[in-house]
Amino acid sequence: MPDSDLPPAPDPVVELYKQGVDRTLLRQNLRRSVDERILNLMDLQRLAEELRRAGQRSRDQRR
Amino acid sequence: MTDFKQLLHLLSTSKVDFILVGGMAATVHGAARLTQDLDVVYSRSQANLERLAAALAPYQPYLRGAPLGLPFRWDAATLERGLNFTLTTTLGDLDLLGEITGGGGYGDLVSHSIPIEIFGEICRCLDLPALIQAKRAAGRPRDLEALAELEALLEERRRLDSTNP
Repeated sequence: MPDSDLPPAPDPVVELYKQGVDRTLLRQNLRRSVDERILNLMDLQRLAEELRRAGQRSRDQRR
Repeated sequence: MTDFKQLLHLLSTSKVDFILVGGMAATVHGAARLTQDLDVVYSRSQANLERLAAALAPYQPYLRGAPLGLPFRWDAATLERGLNFTLTTTLGDLDLLGEITGGGGYGDLVSHSIPIEIFGEICRCLDLPALIQAKRAAGRPRDLEALAELEALLEERRRLDSTNP
């Protein structure tokens, strides 16, 4: 692997995608500890799982 | 759902040599995207394969997406015969990677990783520039948003470092 201390040369496609990144979320995460970031991820996972289940229940009821 | 805390604790306390990569490494560095599994690059030394096999054995590792009932035997010999394993376990989904595109194996990556304390255990995590290089090398269109977020994160960290030297 090349030296990772060098900043990557900009890729025009990635630069376009970068405009859509919500940096407020990144700044908020950078203020958190690593443990808090992981616990937050696990909370998000639980929420996503619950939303999936709710969607499934709703589809089942419509059948 | 993957119990990242338990999985990381298990690997660390079992003295498995591994490096966090992928979505969890991105989370550790501050990314906000949701990831569903734990991706690690593991050392292919015989002793490490034995430790890894023993650590995960109680958690019913099985090939993710494979039909149930296949004669899949979880042991160090299976790890030695394969390279990358996408597994389900009772603690959640775990990807064990012998190598990653653009990065190589554990020995190639260890100098691009940093020790990080996670829930009281020290784990090695691929550093952010190396994570970006690996994502770029993988060249998957579905990674473009994640890559953009990682590069934005690197910029934010450098901005923070320059304002708080």
